[in-house]
Amino acid sequence: MSRPARLLAVRLMSAASRLLPARLSDWSRAMANELAAIADDRSALLFALGCLRAALSMAIAERFRSALYQLPTRSLAAMNSLSTRPRLLGLLCGVLAVGVGLAYLEAAGAPSRHLLVNFAALVLGATAWLALGRTAGSRLAGAGVAILALSVPLLLTARFGLVADGASRWVAVGPLTVQVSLILLPAMIILYARRPDPIGTAGIAAAAFALAIQPDRAMAGALAAALVAVALESRGRLPLLASAASVLAFAWTLVAPDTLAATAYVDSVLYTAFAVHPLAGAAVVAGAAALIVPAVIGLGRGMNDRPALLAFGACWSAVLAAAALGNYPTPLVGYGGSAVLGYLFSVALLPAAAREADARAPAAPVAAVRDPDPAPPELRAARPA
Amino acid sequence: MPRKRALSGHARALLAALASAGPRWSYGYELSSLTAIRSGTLYPLLIRLEAQGYLEAEWQPPAGAGRPPRHAYRLTAAGRLLARAEAAGPDRQVAASGRRAGEAAS
Repeated sequence: MSRPARLLAVRLMSAASRLLPARLSDWSRAMANELAAIADDRSALLFALGCLRAALSMAIAERFRSALYQLPTRSLAAMNSLSTRPRLLGLLCGVLAVGVGLAYLEAAGAPSRHLLVNFAALVLGATAWLALGRTAGSRLAGAGVAILALSVPLLLTARFGLVADGASRWVAVGPLTVQVSLILLPAMIILYARRPDPIGTAGIAAAAFALAIQPDRAMAGALAAALVAVALESRGRLPLLASAASVLAFAWTLVAPDTLAATAYVDSVLYTAFAVHPLAGAAVVAGAAALIVPAVIGLGRGMNDRPALLAFGACWSAVLAAAALGNYPTPLVGYGGSAVLGYLFSVALLPAAAREADARAPAAPVAAVRDPDPAPPELRAARPA
Repeated sequence: MPRKRALSGHARALLAALASAGPRWSYGYELSSLTAIRSGTLYPLLIRLEAQGYLEAEWQPPAGAGRPPRHAYRLTAAGRLLARAEAAGPDRQVAASGRRAGEAAS
């Protein structure tokens, strides 16, 4: 065998040394030095090849174990980061709820058109979520005007919308029937909670009036719950006025008769899902509960922007309560693109990255996952139990 | 009840070679030649045996000018016990060492 074989052996051994973890440097030197004791070049080459193979497999095992040990730490860090991003968390919760809803609709034998509508609404809502995120700076400045503008479609729906059993809550958009209040009201609530001003207060009062005359007990209840929460939190004069208007509107809807029958796959889903399968029922309830997770986590972590988080939580809790108590749409997990859009619009208006209430306090540290065994992981696998 | 895992053939052969060397130090290439275990299998086994306290290793000064120092190996007392028990059979090995057979190597 020629000298090139010896040179190649040395090169291979050098590569093996580089691959081995630093803590095994003694061993890489041991392998390399052993080459000098092998007289035959071919044997030296085979020896070096074997060492390279061993180094490669040990390096891969080391990387794999290292990644495995870091996984809990990284997961905790991701969860920690997510819990301070209500917008992103809300989007994920919305996607989860719609996903659960699609599974339920499929299992319950709903027309495929229902599934398509919910999915299309999810795509549309997620697109809006992205678009609204890019204009975050200019959005809040015109919040009052936006609220007032958004109250107009609610008033128009009350006057010119499609009527069923005396209620006028819907408009026809091509082949679809959409519930305007479910799309617009949650977004109006979040805008108002973040920046309550006189124009916005007028818009909220107009929306409350529209809901009273539609009448829409569920959404009037959601508006009242959210604004009472905002008023209690901020204790300002304007939120107090807005909450009074919304409570009056809700009271009016309680007096007005509401005889609308339940619609399959839309209303009473929290109950009918259990008829499909207990697991389907549990999944639907969990999916619905996910809707208020951004508020619960944000408030639990003591974030500022409390009015927005409180309003969000109160609004969607009220919508869910209405769905549980009466013939009102079950948001996201039931059929209906309006709720999907409404949820994602409202999520898009939540603070992108909520700050801790005490700016001086550092973010909660992620507990380091300490490895109790000081021995190198590579050698640990073979240790007696 | 813990699962008993037998030592691999290579691990047994290596233990036997080291046991037969007694207190004398052995080298990597020498062990590879004696046992017909390729270096790619031999070194991970040596590393594990040493980590578990069955093997001791030391650097020995160069045998001559221009030669590098060599890493040398021999069994510890625990390693000799394991080798003896292993030679007598896996069941005896477990009883003798009080440890699970097969932990030393895969």
